[in-house]
Amino acid sequence: MGNWERLVWNQRDALISGLAVTIEICAIAFVAALFGGLALCLLRMHVRALRPVTIGVIEFCRATPIFVQLMWVNYVWPELFGWPNSFFTAGWVALALQSSGYLAETFRAGIEAVPRGHREAGAAVGMSPALILGRIVLPQAGLMVSPSIVNQFTVIVKSSTLVSVITVQDLMFQSQKLVNVWYEPIEILTATAGIYIVLVFAVSALGKLLADLLRRRFGVAAN
Amino acid sequence: MTEAPCIRVSELYKRFDMLEVLKGVSFDVHRGSVVSMIGASGSGKSTLLRCINHLETPSAGEVYIDGVPLGFQVDAAGRRRPRPRAEINLLRRDLGMVFQQFNLWPHMTALGNVIEAPIRVRGMSRKEATALGAACLAQVHLEDKANEYPARLSGGQQQRVAIARALAMQPKVLLFDEPTSSLDPELTDEVLTVMRELADTGSTMIVVTHEMRFAREVSDRVMFLHNGTIEEQGPPEQVFGAPVSERCRQFLSKFIA
Amino acid sequence: MSESLRQSLDLSLFWEYRTVLLRGLVFNLYVFLCAASVAITIGLGAALLRINRAWPFRVLGTLHVEIFRNAPDYIMVVWVHFVLPLLLSPILGWRVEFHPFVSAVIALGFVYSGYYAETFRAGIQSIPRGHLEAGRACGMSERLILWRIVMPQVVRKMLPEGLNQLVSLFKATTIVSLIAVPDMMYQVSMVTAQEMRPIPLYTGAALVYFAVVFAVAQAVRLASERWRQSIYA
Repeated sequence: MGNWERLVWNQRDALISGLAVTIEICAIAFVAALFGGLALCLLRMHVRALRPVTIGVIEFCRATPIFVQLMWVNYVWPELFGWPNSFFTAGWVALALQSSGYLAETFRAGIEAVPRGHREAGAAVGMSPALILGRIVLPQAGLMVSPSIVNQFTVIVKSSTLVSVITVQDLMFQSQKLVNVWYEPIEILTATAGIYIVLVFAVSALGKLLADLLRRRFGVAAN
Repeated sequence: MTEAPCIRVSELYKRFDMLEVLKGVSFDVHRGSVVSMIGASGSGKSTLLRCINHLETPSAGEVYIDGVPLGFQVDAAGRRRPRPRAEINLLRRDLGMVFQQFNLWPHMTALGNVIEAPIRVRGMSRKEATALGAACLAQVHLEDKANEYPARLSGGQQQRVAIARALAMQPKVLLFDEPTSSLDPELTDEVLTVMRELADTGSTMIVVTHEMRFAREVSDRVMFLHNGTIEEQGPPEQVFGAPVSERCRQFLSKFIA
Repeated sequence: MSESLRQSLDLSLFWEYRTVLLRGLVFNLYVFLCAASVAITIGLGAALLRINRAWPFRVLGTLHVEIFRNAPDYIMVVWVHFVLPLLLSPILGWRVEFHPFVSAVIALGFVYSGYYAETFRAGIQSIPRGHLEAGRACGMSERLILWRIVMPQVVRKMLPEGLNQLVSLFKATTIVSLIAVPDMMYQVSMVTAQEMRPIPLYTGAALVYFAVVFAVAQAVRLASERWRQSIYA
């Protein structure tokens, strides 16, 4: 047990700072993915001219493996677009890219599941389409698909381990650095795996709780 | 009839958590007779039926099939040992059951449903079983639907296939749990007709039902259950015509005979 | 930028190295097939544990699922490759070393067994109780009921979900390059190190993976649609 103390507990500062970076990058990626997914979804549904392009982007985001996307964003985009200019940015952009595709489809399913009658009721009292969308359709759609949204967040957290490959100093990176310094992988890697498992479990459990709470509060039937 | 009863139910009690559903039920069923069980919802009749083939395990009391107890075994030293589930499963070969919800297996054809147990449980060859299955389907007048999947059959047809499935195991007793309650009115007749024919050929049947006309015309004996006990029991003329129990009278008054 | 744009659209470098790169893709497939077999068998086992009558088995099954479903692929791959041999060596008495391919298959297999366990469990528990009772009423043993009544229906019901998870698994195989399994991403990084031109290579790789995964995913989607419309509700 002395090893655990020496290798893990005493190094907790490094691990904690890594965990902070992980949480940070995941949070930014998640918010970006929500916006990106929503944008793609609405573009797909309402801007007919761009539909093939939008669908192409969505399918590309969903079908390409996250690692491939990460490498591509990190090595190719700076040459093409001059951005991202930091590894951290490349990291969250790639993570957001992956989830935007899924969230776009998730939102679409949610929006289509909102009963037509609700829209008609809104129109009947003179609401504009934008108002109907914002006040009636999206809130219900969001509540209905909230479990899927929570799931995407866990996907982001799990995929974030890969950003260590492009030298973002997340938890994975810090733990690998420690292994390289101490040459004793057992305790460090096991502890890291344990932290990730607990983190993902916590995110998933809390997310589920929050989603259920909101859904019950707002009366959307559990799916 | 001096022979041993085909089925003997002895002091059966069943409790679900705090609720006592069966409170000491005892009766015999002799070979070849048709017994109907009637009563209000919650009277315990379905539970009683399901205890007979141990789909529900009785809290106390026992069921004997041709003298053999279902839930326990008497070993060489004369002590009682509870029977393991696997053995109970096997003893159920001799009891056929038809459910309210038909419960046909959707991934097998009608014939497939019927021959599955004979092949797998009785060890029949496929050839033998298919012949037997075809005969059973013919008995329920569905020989032309042998290769149809349940989803393509009407409710009445599905229930008849379910009866054929029970028959294929050549059981000593057939148990019917409200067989027509899930059917549209137009479809109940085809099922009741088949059940009548079975009764006429001498099958031993225990039927839980709301079909009073059937109970009256086909049964040898009718039992009225109320709150977990048998309130009234006897030949149909008595139970339907001149019931002793007040509650039975009240229950029957709701049905226009 | 237009120069770089032209460069990225000019995939001739990718084409030049296509043999070694596509051989890498075959490796992805190879890892995928082995990991999928592991995932499905162990997943089924874990699902059966989770619905077992005895609570120790249920706890074991739940632990398995929660650990592997919540574990990131990458950390598991690294852990299996670097830590597991060190744990096994003292037990088995000889110096255990995993070929990266083996580590990848074990790690991905176990992680995805977590997902499959849930898929199977949901499927099994969705079979109406009545079907089981009908089997019992005929005298069928529990094992017979499981294999002849429950599993055929479960496979049919959960096939779309199961196929989707296979697609995810295939995408996950790209990370095995990080422990030096010579898949396509590994080859890309090797060639990039040599040729110093990442754009055509990484773009090409992205397009190839996209094409493969997209094609398969579409096929799965179509098959699932047709499935849902078949006689079998």
